[in-house]
Amino acid sequence: MNYTNFNKNEEFFVDMQRCIGCKACEMACAECETNGQESLIHVNYVDRASTVQTTVQVCMHCDDPVCANVCPADAISKDEFGIVHTANTERCIGCSNCVMACPFGVPKKEESYDLMMKCTMCYDRTSVGKKPMCATVCPSGALFYGTREEIQEMRPNSSPVNTFLFGEEVVNTKVNIMMPKGSNQLIIY
Amino acid sequence: MKNRNYNIKALLIAASMSVLMIILVFYGSRKLQNFDAALITYLFGTVFAFFGIVYRYSVWLQRPPTWIYFKRGVSYLFTGKVFSHFWFASKETIENIAFQKFIYPRGKYRWMAHFLIAIGCTSAFLITIPLTFGWIHFTMAPDSISVYEAHFFGFKVMEFKLGSIMAFLTFHALNWSSYLVIFGSLYYLRRRLTNPGLIATQTFEGDLLPLILLIAISATGLGLTYSYQFMKGFAFDFLAVLHAVTVIMFLIWIPFGKFFHIIQRPAQIGAHIYKKQGMKMGMAVCEHTGEEFATNLHIKDLKTVTKELGFNFDRPDGTSHLDLSPEGKRSRLAQAHLKARLEGGNLFG
Amino acid sequence: MAKLPVSEQNIITQFGPHKNYTPKDGYEGRDEPDELVKTHCCFCGMQCGIQLSVKDNKVVGFEPWMEFPFNEGRLCPKGVQRYLQNNHPDRLLSPIKRVEGQGFVPTTWDDAMGKTVSEIKRIQEKYGNDAFSVLSGVSLTNEKSYLMGKFARVALKTKNLDYNGRLCMVSAGAGNKKAFGLDRGSNNYSDLEYAEVIIVAGANVSETFPTLTHWIWKARDRGAKLIVIDPRMIPLARTADLHLDVRPGTDSALYGAMLKYLVDHDMLDHDFIDNHTSGFQETIDSVKDYTLEWAEEVTGIKKEKIQQAAELWGKAKTSFLLHARGIEHHSKGVDNVLGCINLVLATGRIGRPYCGYATITGQGNGQGGREHGHKCDQLPGNRDIENPEHRKYISEVWGINEKDMPGKGLSAYEIIEAIHRGEIKGLLSICFNPLVSLPNSNYVREALEKLEFYVCIDFFLNETARHADIVLAGSLQEEEEGTTTSAEGRVIRIRQAVTPPGDARTDTSIVLELAKRLGEEDKFTYDSSEAVFNELRVASKGGTADYYGITYQRIEDEMGVFWPCPEIGHPGTPRLWEDKKFRTADERAHFNPAPYKLPGEVPDADYPIILTTGRVVSQYLSGTQTRRIGKLVDQYPEPLLEIHPNLAYQYGIKQRELIKVTTRRGEGIFPANIVETIREDTVFIPYHWSGKKSANQLTPGTLDPISKIPEFKVCACHLEPLREIAPPSSESMAYASV
Repeated sequence: MNYTNFNKNEEFFVDMQRCIGCKACEMACAECETNGQESLIHVNYVDRASTVQTTVQVCMHCDDPVCANVCPADAISKDEFGIVHTANTERCIGCSNCVMACPFGVPKKEESYDLMMKCTMCYDRTSVGKKPMCATVCPSGALFYGTREEIQEMRPNSSPVNTFLFGEEVVNTKVNIMMPKGSNQLIIY
Repeated sequence: MKNRNYNIKALLIAASMSVLMIILVFYGSRKLQNFDAALITYLFGTVFAFFGIVYRYSVWLQRPPTWIYFKRGVSYLFTGKVFSHFWFASKETIENIAFQKFIYPRGKYRWMAHFLIAIGCTSAFLITIPLTFGWIHFTMAPDSISVYEAHFFGFKVMEFKLGSIMAFLTFHALNWSSYLVIFGSLYYLRRRLTNPGLIATQTFEGDLLPLILLIAISATGLGLTYSYQFMKGFAFDFLAVLHAVTVIMFLIWIPFGKFFHIIQRPAQIGAHIYKKQGMKMGMAVCEHTGEEFATNLHIKDLKTVTKELGFNFDRPDGTSHLDLSPEGKRSRLAQAHLKARLEGGNLFG
Repeated sequence: MAKLPVSEQNIITQFGPHKNYTPKDGYEGRDEPDELVKTHCCFCGMQCGIQLSVKDNKVVGFEPWMEFPFNEGRLCPKGVQRYLQNNHPDRLLSPIKRVEGQGFVPTTWDDAMGKTVSEIKRIQEKYGNDAFSVLSGVSLTNEKSYLMGKFARVALKTKNLDYNGRLCMVSAGAGNKKAFGLDRGSNNYSDLEYAEVIIVAGANVSETFPTLTHWIWKARDRGAKLIVIDPRMIPLARTADLHLDVRPGTDSALYGAMLKYLVDHDMLDHDFIDNHTSGFQETIDSVKDYTLEWAEEVTGIKKEKIQQAAELWGKAKTSFLLHARGIEHHSKGVDNVLGCINLVLATGRIGRPYCGYATITGQGNGQGGREHGHKCDQLPGNRDIENPEHRKYISEVWGINEKDMPGKGLSAYEIIEAIHRGEIKGLLSICFNPLVSLPNSNYVREALEKLEFYVCIDFFLNETARHADIVLAGSLQEEEEGTTTSAEGRVIRIRQAVTPPGDARTDTSIVLELAKRLGEEDKFTYDSSEAVFNELRVASKGGTADYYGITYQRIEDEMGVFWPCPEIGHPGTPRLWEDKKFRTADERAHFNPAPYKLPGEVPDADYPIILTTGRVVSQYLSGTQTRRIGKLVDQYPEPLLEIHPNLAYQYGIKQRELIKVTTRRGEGIFPANIVETIREDTVFIPYHWSGKKSANQLTPGTLDPISKIPEFKVCACHLEPLREIAPPSSESMAYASV
């Protein structure tokens, strides 16, 4: 990328059990300059009929992103900082392969644009050393962006985990999810 | 990502297609009778670009996700469903390829600027490539000194009077194209230089250089016209060289840079037909939300494609993580996380 | 002449609510703003710090303000979208007047002011000074709140002035005054950090004060146990250690039973009780029969859970008790508050680090606005309008004769009742939308239609203002300098980011001009908001809410100052009662008996279901601002009736089926949202919407005898399924309902 001041010491830590479903992140996401007033973060009820549990999902920025692999148009790329970028507008053909293949349910198809858009970890902000909008405004700490030392100090009984098991597939990501201390993976059934 | 190595199959295809192209040039110019020797550098550039495009296209098609779309697209178009999809494909071609309708919702001005560049470039290609190949040439009508005849592949296709509106439009067609391209490209250049989101993510060679090239080609091309029309050929040779250099850079850049999307875009129609056909064959229902979220065909193909690419989302019970909608996946992850947190004894800390 | 001049739909077409969205690439100039103005969010008592991006005298976006200590950049969706209230197409750009058959037409300031003043004079000469009333609000800054109080008493010379805080935390204020002699949250929120047990009673923190969640989660990261008392499983309750799903209207029974448990098991701080409190014996006598079994029967909470809660509370070394409207919006709101305070006092956990108690004040300046004299019974500095010394002091500050100072007037809902009875003929309102926010809205509408003259100061034409004769185009929060006081008691600076657009004026200049035309110019001349504040400082000096030591400069230097701050050199008081010197007459904290009483309305054969009302995270109060911001509207487009599946099953109700809800006051139709997260005997409707979508068509005007707060949180209703599924929420036009 052109110029960058990406802070490599800071990482993204997600803990969806802290989420209160307020959608401040969703509103803030639209303020990210790379999104053009579209919100690319996801907040949804897990099962509203039985619980008020909500979950929040940013792009996990996989080491080997499935979305990029299944893209028939080579529209998704990963950069030197491990950021998986949103679809290249001139290449994306709006096929939704990435939307359906991403194990985390992150990419979003903007039907009217016939274009996939996804979270770039607020590249306009992180590339100049700022924190992503969503993690900046999150009032509950469900989204946190900072150093490992900071999160360790704040939540000494949790460990960041970035290995996920989806069926047979082991997915490693740049973004961490906070789990009970000592956990090293999250198995999704 | 995989599949990006040196590719013998694609090389062979590209080489043979290029030979075929040279043969067509030979015969299309009536054994080089109509060939304009001044355009020889352009010819080499074009042939090289053609080679590159075919190569890149072949490599691209071999990628599993692309190949499956290509295969399905071709089979739907030709296996007894020609007519039902023919009209749809034609409509889509006009809307999405000719008019790039999908850009309009992204921004009115973005669409307008893109449309200007698109018609400017397309018309320029339609003129320059056959000219370069010697497929088009103009002659005086045999019994006149004011009537021009245009020939394509050696056959006469039309005639017009010198000084007529038709002549003015035809001889200056490239100039009109240049203006359109310049206006469109300037808009995009301004956008790329001021929009913080774009500034953060763009690259010089991928995003700015193509615009600069387009403007350079158009400006030098216009310069040629103005040089001989108004400035008595001032700096004509210099401009001619500059123009040739920019054009050839542009041609060589097509297969590897931003302009490849021109070649790639028709795949969008393929994706649309795929979805349409898939819907006829039934929708997949998310096991979590209980709602339809994609076509069965799409999910089935994706399971195959992901496996081919080395990803296996199968669960022990034979189902797959891909049977979940995006919302379902997010919810299941949250439920798994809640379970793990509860087992850990504390949601916080 | 307070009937609508044209159809309501016509008024909406012209004045909104219309939804405002940011243009696709953001507002022009967002990337290179002229200035980032450090100010605070205009919504809710948290008063989160935020920086507004300003370009060419327009607010074009925001940037988080990471340094402000309470929220460190964190915001809720309302805060993120608050910048969209500026640049809004519905904004009133000049005074408008009612023209029968035509609607509202622009007029000149001179005409609007002239008409207003002549009508005020006419009404007051004909019916007496008190026949003209003022309804104010506490989204106003301290300066404007102070001015409104002074304006009503000095320029209008009416006693009938009250404010929308009457629908907010007056029960807490009254309870705090009884128990502590002072009305402020006892601690700032950083005392939550190491509290061992936190009780959140009737406070939907995660939706109404989202940024406070951070502090509660922070405590839980350190091992705090969280007890949430709420009829609904609110987001905060989902992960709580204990959720006490109290039957609406029975809170005081729960606190009484918990207190008895503490007494029976001697989990008391005898030292504190003996040395620093009074009224203990009569209070525990009042709960001697409140067994766990009795409490289970009354409150519907399993007795084991009540016992667990009492055990947790009793054994903790540090704790924090928070409550909000859920226990305050009752005909016994003050009793509920006192019940909570009794639990705090019994364990002596107050006035020490991480030992806290506070009501979470709801409105933007709900704390500061209720201290400086626009309550019907109050003078600046939280002084009593019936106390001769207080009257004398303020009269001197204002330069009036004490005899001319009006006495105690009617409270907000009582003013509406007096208008309905024909006793009050004129009304000036600012920052208050009673047609949406007061209970029994059909009755309120009838009252408004009886007014002879109604003038409203507002930046948008709110639902109530549609009944006005004159609407004076006022200013938004970001268009005037000032201060507010957050729910923690922290006095902070509100910055003028832009000037009012078009011909609109600042609220202050409008009030000063009216005072001038009413012949009181000499008492209403200020060259700046700071000058108003400096007078307020003097007026508050010696009162319980003493701001004397706080200056604009100090606020900026110290990122806010906590009152009381009686001297310039005083550091401010983030934590009250460290000296154990309470502001009551005997300097002790007072236990007060709070015996359980029935709510104003209980279910019966005709109205068998309990109805309770509340809020959603994307809307603020009556929605004058937030129902005009597109994404906030879209987040929760229409009020839904939350109902438990078992109750829904009894009526054969399907998801999103339209349900007609009827009470003794009115009816409304709402789509059902069938969820297990509410009690089986209770249904819930959020209240932010207008007209036929207003939950306040249903709520009762029963008032607490002390605080005069209406009982929004409990009444009896009847459900009738209409056997028709509602269209999708996304198609709802509830934000502009007539």
